[in-house]
Amino acid sequence: MVADTVAPNRATRPQRPRSRSWLRLVVLLAIVAVVLYPLFWMIGTSVKSQEEIVNNIGLLPRNFTPGNYTDGWTNFDVSFARFFLNSAMVSLLTLVGNAVSCLLAAYAFARLRFRLRGLWFAVMIGTLLLPGHVLIVPQYILFRSLGLVGAEWPYLPLLIPQFLATEAFFVFLMVQFMRGIPRELDEAARIDGANAFGIFRHVILPLSRPALVTTAIFSFIWTWNDFFRQLVFLSDLSDYTVPVALTLFIDSTSQSAVGPMFAMAVLSLLPVFGFFVAFQRMLVEGINTSGLKG
Amino acid sequence: MALTTAPDPTRRGTGSVRPDANRRGTGRIRHGEGLAGYVFLSPWLVGLMGITALPMLLSLYLSFTNYDILTPLSEVEWVGLANYERMFTSDPSWWHSVRVTLSFALIAVPLKLAAALGVALLLNRAWRGVGLFRGLFYLPSLLGGSVALAIVWVNMFNRDGAFNSFLALFGIQGKPWVNDPDWALETLMVLAIWQFGAPMVIFLAGLKQVPTELYEAAAVDGAGKFRQFVNVTLPMLSPVIFFNLVLETINGFQGFTAAFVLSNGTGGPVDSTLMYTLNLYITGFTNLEMGYASAMAWVFLIAIAIITVIFFSTGRFWVHYSDGEDR
Amino acid sequence: MHPATHPTASAPDGRTYRTPLLRRRLLRGLVAAVVTLPLVGAAAACGDDAASDGKTTISIFWWGGEARAQLTEQALDLYTQKNPDVVFEKVWQANQGYFDKLATLTAGGNPPDIFQIDDNFLTEYAARNATLDLKPYQESGDLDTSKFPPSLLQYGVVDGKLAGLAAGENTQGLVYNKTLVTENGLPEPTTGMSWEEHIAWAEQVSKKTGVPGTMDASAIDKAFWVWLRQQGKDLYSGNELGFTVADVTRWFELWKDARDRGATPTPDVIHEGNATDITKQLVVTGKAATSWVWVNQMPELKKNTSDELGVIAYPGDPSGQWARASMYWSVFRGSKNADIAVDVINFLANDADAVKLLGTDRGLPSNLDLRRVVSDDTTDEAMKQSIAVETELAKTFGEAPQVPIKGHSKVRAELIKAAENALYGRVTPAEAAAQFVEACTAAIAS
Repeated sequence: MVADTVAPNRATRPQRPRSRSWLRLVVLLAIVAVVLYPLFWMIGTSVKSQEEIVNNIGLLPRNFTPGNYTDGWTNFDVSFARFFLNSAMVSLLTLVGNAVSCLLAAYAFARLRFRLRGLWFAVMIGTLLLPGHVLIVPQYILFRSLGLVGAEWPYLPLLIPQFLATEAFFVFLMVQFMRGIPRELDEAARIDGANAFGIFRHVILPLSRPALVTTAIFSFIWTWNDFFRQLVFLSDLSDYTVPVALTLFIDSTSQSAVGPMFAMAVLSLLPVFGFFVAFQRMLVEGINTSGLKG
Repeated sequence: MALTTAPDPTRRGTGSVRPDANRRGTGRIRHGEGLAGYVFLSPWLVGLMGITALPMLLSLYLSFTNYDILTPLSEVEWVGLANYERMFTSDPSWWHSVRVTLSFALIAVPLKLAAALGVALLLNRAWRGVGLFRGLFYLPSLLGGSVALAIVWVNMFNRDGAFNSFLALFGIQGKPWVNDPDWALETLMVLAIWQFGAPMVIFLAGLKQVPTELYEAAAVDGAGKFRQFVNVTLPMLSPVIFFNLVLETINGFQGFTAAFVLSNGTGGPVDSTLMYTLNLYITGFTNLEMGYASAMAWVFLIAIAIITVIFFSTGRFWVHYSDGEDR
Repeated sequence: MHPATHPTASAPDGRTYRTPLLRRRLLRGLVAAVVTLPLVGAAAACGDDAASDGKTTISIFWWGGEARAQLTEQALDLYTQKNPDVVFEKVWQANQGYFDKLATLTAGGNPPDIFQIDDNFLTEYAARNATLDLKPYQESGDLDTSKFPPSLLQYGVVDGKLAGLAAGENTQGLVYNKTLVTENGLPEPTTGMSWEEHIAWAEQVSKKTGVPGTMDASAIDKAFWVWLRQQGKDLYSGNELGFTVADVTRWFELWKDARDRGATPTPDVIHEGNATDITKQLVVTGKAATSWVWVNQMPELKKNTSDELGVIAYPGDPSGQWARASMYWSVFRGSKNADIAVDVINFLANDADAVKLLGTDRGLPSNLDLRRVVSDDTTDEAMKQSIAVETELAKTFGEAPQVPIKGHSKVRAELIKAAENALYGRVTPAEAAAQFVEACTAAIAS
């Protein structure tokens, strides 16, 4: 099973027997059914009445209650559409920021020689290791000191770090990918007279697509789901993002609107799911490095 | 062609010997490259100096104080090593959370990586509908740590949950998994493994980067599918495997969200899911002992740093970089 | 003293540690960096407290659901109507993360002028001088508390300072499934039954109906507290625990006996009941015939079940219960507009229109005159019921205890841990009690 999936190139591979395709499909569908059962349950719950959510733990509702979707959408003074837009904006800007700034840093770490490179690389990895919860308060104090908290546009504290490559995860990810790009390509470009910038532009950038796509996917999705930082830095209902808004449905000490919450949680999966399916297409079949050399 | 055979066997085990040190080593910096390096690095450096470093240093400083969040910074008291002393000598719940975290990470991380790699290999080749399947497998990871996820998971794994109904088909009497202190951590592991989407995507991207001519060359040499996997795929994928291993290990040790969500932020039942970072969060924010929590965080950093260094130093024996350089 | 139970424990006067020069420099550098930056930022952020149109903005922060948000916003708009110079920056969220955010804002020197708080955290904030002492306003008459039940007011006093004004009153309530009990021809429980009688009744319910008669209360701090008061003890006494290992052992044994007799659900279900939020109390999910809640949570419980519910006091002498502030309004001590902020909370407590708007969402209105008006106006059946019960219980309320001390959150968590340890049969009640007291002693030592 493992071996027959690695054949990379359709052209060199003999036609696969039809029955094995079917087998693969059946196996995949079986795994998917198990893996996705909790999500089916979630969708089922999103059309249950409040009383049924508490008392009927089955997959399907006894009374189909699609009203949760309209209730949830209009539950607050601000329409849920606003939260979707806010989340989309923050996620897209984060994506851009991470992709650009982390790519630049990763190129430096992966390809260029400069003083203290090893030290900076170690520091970069080190910033990954500290549990984030002890950084929230100092960060808040810092951003407030910088006048970024409570500004007219409240998303600055969420976005500025993303444009400064503070997500070491992505830097390290791209470094690892770039180190998989043969150095012979750099040398060839150098012989043609390219300097560090030229190599970046003509060799590394085009070949970094898998890493960039991965970064884009994760940046978008993780920001879409991020709760704590958005909770701390956003204070106006109309500025809230989807994860913050979702928690508004359930106050464990008083009131709960579990049905509408599930409905909105299901809806909030759609944009990220669509985003993922669209972007993963860009993870295309193997790069042919020899073409670039010529 | 220089790169048809993936890892040069002579390079294995050579350790620190760098045959090409003269040409590419850090010893000599090519003219102009040092400057270019800092130009490309500048956004990161600004971010480090301006945004990352100060909070980190502040938390390091606070780990030697009795900081409680509510007291202004200028009034915190220096307590020397007391926080660290307390951690190692008189805090049984700290030791407990260390044990919980270790057993979680040791089991969940390898299984999650295996699941991710397995599914990535299944979904690597392009065929009609593969994108949809990739999306479906990624779906669980899209849920993150939302309130909805908590409710879903508890309802899958409590006494009358879906999992037990499934077991009942085979006449097996299940446990109240999430509500059983002997099984709650395992339920947490299942949740972590279930969300294997991130490493899966990274594996997929890594597989895309394997130059196709390597397979062609291997096929010409008469290598079968399995030999191609061992001789081409694994070595070429090794930087990405390495990345996933390091990051998922860090993630596994930092595993907070699943534990927080499943136990309602308590680490229960009876502390059975009290992961290190959850303990740290409760200490810092609920008990308002942020100084102590900072100390816990820095001990954590040192421990993970040691593990990471071990990974990096063993990496040179099995990670193949096409840029022909060890790190 | 337990060694190094807390960073300061070994340095009682806080001066034992010399400050080395290097450390002082490091500290000075860090603090300077953080403290001087605001000067740069202040210019950019420009004073938002006094907007250019001469209006004062009061920021106010609370947790709750959408319904509470609506009511509170209406009441605040009413204030703006009557005081056009004051506008509000209203921030609300669910209780998840509320105190994390409040603490973070406070650390940033940026807390709201007015914030909602509960008795878990009141002392934590008051003891660190984050809350304004409302006593002077009370004495000057700017804050009118004349219509408050004295014990309710007293329950906001920390170290002689009025740290929070009760935003509503509630008290412990034992909710039972009336439909289940009456349909099976069983007697309904009544206020004043002893704990033993309650458990015997619950055992009977289990046997007759197959539904466990009572949720196990051993891990529930509010039940433990009432029980302690009925034994002549208390949760806290000054800065100490108000009970001994022997007391806790008896409490845990009471419930072990209940479990052995089949009066309670199985341990995993009890844990579920301990961990869950208000909508999933066992009485609602049908996993037990009774649950331990606050009286004013009745309407919310009612929404989640089609069965009829009844509510009475916790077992034992009802004078063990007291007029508890369900939550408080506190004013940040550093607020630039403290006088206005105090006027706002005075308005929320004493203005007839505002109180009518707010209703019983945060508990019964603190102002007794207005409480009567609100209860007459209520049309919600479940709400009527809970008002009636609480009004009845108010006649027998005992003195308010002191507000829980610093470390209370930890104590609550430790109670759950110890009780569940016994519940799952991992330790005996006596061992669990000893562990609990040891952990509590460490937790409050700071």
